[in-house]
Amino acid sequence: MALMPKRVKYRKKMRGKMKGNACRGNFVAFGEFGLQALECSWVTGRQIEAGRVAATHFLHREGKVHIRIFPDHSYTCKPLETRMGKGKAEIAGWVARVKPGAVLYEIGGVPEDIARAALARVAYKMPVRCRFITKRHSL
Amino acid sequence: MADRMLLKGESREQVGTSKAVALRKQGKLPAIMYGHGKGTSSFALGLHDLTEAIHHGHRLFDIEIDGKRETLLVKDIQYDYLGKNYIHIDFIRVNLAELVTVSVDLNFKGIAAGTHEGGMLDVHLDAIEVECKVSEIPEAIDVVVKEINIGDSIYASDIELPDGSTLKTDGEALILNCHLVAIAKSTEELEEELPVGPEVITEKAEEPEGEES
Repeated sequence: MALMPKRVKYRKKMRGKMKGNACRGNFVAFGEFGLQALECSWVTGRQIEAGRVAATHFLHREGKVHIRIFPDHSYTCKPLETRMGKGKAEIAGWVARVKPGAVLYEIGGVPEDIARAALARVAYKMPVRCRFITKRHSL
Repeated sequence: MADRMLLKGESREQVGTSKAVALRKQGKLPAIMYGHGKGTSSFALGLHDLTEAIHHGHRLFDIEIDGKRETLLVKDIQYDYLGKNYIHIDFIRVNLAELVTVSVDLNFKGIAAGTHEGGMLDVHLDAIEVECKVSEIPEAIDVVVKEINIGDSIYASDIELPDGSTLKTDGEALILNCHLVAIAKSTEELEEELPVGPEVITEKAEEPEGEES
C-alpha cells in the first residue's frame, strides 16, 4: 500500500468537489525550488510515491526532497460485474486533493539546473500540468 | 539595499474588489500606505515599473502622489494564487533616520567541506530579521560555509552583521547544519513500515456474543 493516514475519524468519505484555487500551500516554504500544480486533480498515494522515487533517484543522494501533499482522502470503487446498491463499496485507495497553485514537491540543497531536471522528471509522474517555481525573496 | 527609486502614483478614492480588478486590467497595481500616525491612503502604481524595481532588489521608494512626495518602504506584497503576479502592495511611511525591523536574505557562499565527505548542507532559515536604519538596510548578508564539516551548525548569533544592524531573530535559531545523507528508502521498505489500513477513531469495538445487560 502507498501513503495513507495512520488514524481517521471515518473510513469512507464522500467524493466532494474541487472548486477554486489553492489559497494555502501555494508557495515554496521549505526548499528553494518547487513544483506547482496548474490544474485540479486527485493525486493518488502511488503517484506521490512515484514522484518521490523519480526525484531521489535523479538527485542521487544530493539535496533534500520535501513532499507538500498527503493523500488523506479515501475513495471507494465497486468490483466488476457487481449490481448497484448494497451499500458503499470498499476503499480502493487514498488521494490528495490538489487545486491549481498547490506546491506538490520542493527541492533544496542543489543548484537550479539540477532541481529543474529532477522536478521535470517528477512532473511526468503527476496527473496534472505543473510548472517549476523558485522561492520568493524576503521583504 | 539599492538606492531609493522614484515612482509616480495616483490616489484612488474608489476602493473594493471590482475597482481593484478594473485597475489591474489597466496595468496598474492597487496599493496602500500607512504609518507615522497619518492614517491610511489608497493609491495606484504602474505595475510594470514596480515589478521591475522589486525584482532588482528595491524596497525603498520615493512615491509622488498628487504633487506630494513620500518615502515609503515595502511592508507586504500579495500575490495571485500562482504566485506569479502582484495583486496588492502595502507600504509603510518611514524617515531615513528611523530604525526598522526588516527581513534580510542570507547568501551562502562557498561549498561546505562536509559535502565532500558525503554530507549535506541542510538550510533551515534563509532569511533573518535585523533592526537597522532605513537608509542602511542590507540587500543580503553573506554567510561563508566553506569550513562547515559534518556535524557543524551555524546559529543566528554566529552571523556577522553589517555595521549599524542588530539581530532581531532569536540568536539560538538554527540557520544551517551539515549532516550525513540518509539512504533514501525504497518503496518496499516504506510499505513495510506503513500499516495495512488506518485506525478508525469512531469505530465501535465488537461486543462479545451472549452477554446481556
